[in-house]
Amino acid sequence: MKPALAALAVCLALASPAAGAPLPTPEAVHQVLRTIDDRQRNSGDYKALAYLETKEKDKIDTAREAIVYRRDEDEKLMILFTKPKSEAGKGYIRLDKNLWSYDPGTGKWERRTERERIAGTDSRRADFDQSKLAEEYDASSKGEGRIGQFEVWMIDLQVKPNTDVAYPVVKLWVDQASGNVLKRQEFALSGRLMRTLYYPRWQKLYSESKKAEVWYPGEIRIYDEVEKENSTIVVLKSVDLRPLDANIFTKAWLEAKSR
Amino acid sequence: MRQLFLIAFRNLVQHSRRTLLLGGAIAGVTALLVVLLGLLNGIRTTILESATTLMTGHVNVSGFYKVTAGASAPVVTHYRKLLELIRREVPEVDFVTQRGRGWAKLVSETSSMQSGIGGIDIRNEPGFRRVVRIQDGSLDALAEPGTILIFEEQARRLGVRVGDQLTLSAYTLRGTSNTVDVRIVVIARNVGLLSSFNSFVPDVTLRALYALNDDATGALLVYLKDPKHVPQVEARLREALAAAGYQLMDKDPRAFWFKFEVVNREGWTGQKLDVTTWEDEISFIQWTITAITWLSYLLIGILLVIIAVGIMNTLWIAIRERTREIGTLRAIGMQRARVLAMFLVEAFTLSVSSALVGAAVGLVACVLVNAAHLQVPVAVQLFLMRDELHLAVRPGALVFSILLITGCTTAISIIPSFLAARLQPVTAMHEVG
Repeated sequence: MKPALAALAVCLALASPAAGAPLPTPEAVHQVLRTIDDRQRNSGDYKALAYLETKEKDKIDTAREAIVYRRDEDEKLMILFTKPKSEAGKGYIRLDKNLWSYDPGTGKWERRTERERIAGTDSRRADFDQSKLAEEYDASSKGEGRIGQFEVWMIDLQVKPNTDVAYPVVKLWVDQASGNVLKRQEFALSGRLMRTLYYPRWQKLYSESKKAEVWYPGEIRIYDEVEKENSTIVVLKSVDLRPLDANIFTKAWLEAKSR
Repeated sequence: MRQLFLIAFRNLVQHSRRTLLLGGAIAGVTALLVVLLGLLNGIRTTILESATTLMTGHVNVSGFYKVTAGASAPVVTHYRKLLELIRREVPEVDFVTQRGRGWAKLVSETSSMQSGIGGIDIRNEPGFRRVVRIQDGSLDALAEPGTILIFEEQARRLGVRVGDQLTLSAYTLRGTSNTVDVRIVVIARNVGLLSSFNSFVPDVTLRALYALNDDATGALLVYLKDPKHVPQVEARLREALAAAGYQLMDKDPRAFWFKFEVVNREGWTGQKLDVTTWEDEISFIQWTITAITWLSYLLIGILLVIIAVGIMNTLWIAIRERTREIGTLRAIGMQRARVLAMFLVEAFTLSVSSALVGAAVGLVACVLVNAAHLQVPVAVQLFLMRDELHLAVRPGALVFSILLITGCTTAISIIPSFLAARLQPVTAMHEVG
């Protein structure tokens, strides 16, 4: 077992109580997905500070700091990099169905595919966005299992017809006790495992707009399964669910912030 | 005239040291010019041959397909219908081949790199065998699905050999992640810049990677019987495609991968076709040809100036040495024009004989260089698209070199010859030589 995984197992073991639960029926599997989505969805706005640490073979480790802005109701998302200096001012904004990236060095906007990597790391737009598992995938139960001390439901997801996602097949390990995703594996069209993600820490915050708690992963560990030595750790901090300015999801706003 | 040639010949023989010195210089410049033109032509020929075989036809009908505004792929759908149109509209066509285009990550056990991926049917690519030189493996094996040809530079970077596996990772048209595992069946010798970012798989494998049907391809490469017709064919194809209802991209004389940024910025979706020429597709290396051409011209210019100064100086000396002779010739009735002609013929005789010798020496030098298979440094390989120095001397270039040197040196000798002809017989005869 990788040292990181061992640490993760210990971390998970300490963080949450174990609890048994019956194997979900097909309806219950879908309900689990809906619950996962719903627990993370905020009807209002969302702002978080994200740290991205990337390890790549034969390259120096890099760390970036970014602010993630979301307005789930309108499906708006913006990521503004603030550190290091060379990356500061770069950003992504999703307008309608288009993801745009901005480079203040050239002053150019480029339309990007929604499914591409963010800033060359192993993370993708979906890792920062609201969860849409129930909307995008059909689910089937693969039974129960354990991750460390945790009893988990193992769920296979298959992309729904005419839905565009980066990974058509996903496997989830969902903590039976808390309902949080602990592990996620994503597969290419060919069936090859592409990424494994671990969610060692989930946190929650009361949302005034939702009038309920919103869950978010405090940390995501992403392992590239094709280039085995590449990985990215995303740490989300200072999550703020208060309303954002009405007009921030514009190119002009991001450009102004980049100056 | 025969008399003048006789006088010129005797004079040249009589002043053998001066003749050898000046003739040697003229021959040297001519030889250098032949070699330079051979080098220039060799580079141009190699680039043209390599590029038009590996990545472009004389004219290409390619394009982009966008499922969403932000996700473009270098894909042409329903290519068979297009092929019919090309065959109908372009009688100058020699043959047309379809080539898949892609951009993927090549992942080995130890390393990875991004590379352009060409999807080919090796059985229908005779030119490919001519240009690609095999270091290890067999080109025939590339007919099997799930195989790949990479270049030695890529093999070194990926740390792989023939028989090893690579994983190709890319996104389909709909942005879905996909991979195919391929076996390396050929490692080819480097072909310069192209070998850094090009590899080839069977077209069926490329289609599997991009989840394309068998009526989709990357580009239709049109090879003409005579490449001189490229501009006309390009214009005609644009008109014919537009008339047939195809959406065409504006003319952008760059290789297709430079166009992603522009295409992604535009809001359209669906298919747009692009018509390019081989010069457009290799425009990113055209500057090297231009630079080498201008450098050669500069070098030749400098050499010509040096030789011109040498010839003028030598003729000045000859005139001073022969002032009394000129006076005598003028006194016994030789006209000024004939004196002028006498010196011009002498210069011409020296020039033409030296240029002939020089051209022969240059030709031999080129043959020897080609026979020696001289390896060039990697940095130079990038632009030469070949690992060896290849000089291509055309008969036209030889004739051009001889005419240029002879013409220039003869023209330069007009001034001293004219001054010699203006000498007064009395003054000339009193000259103490």
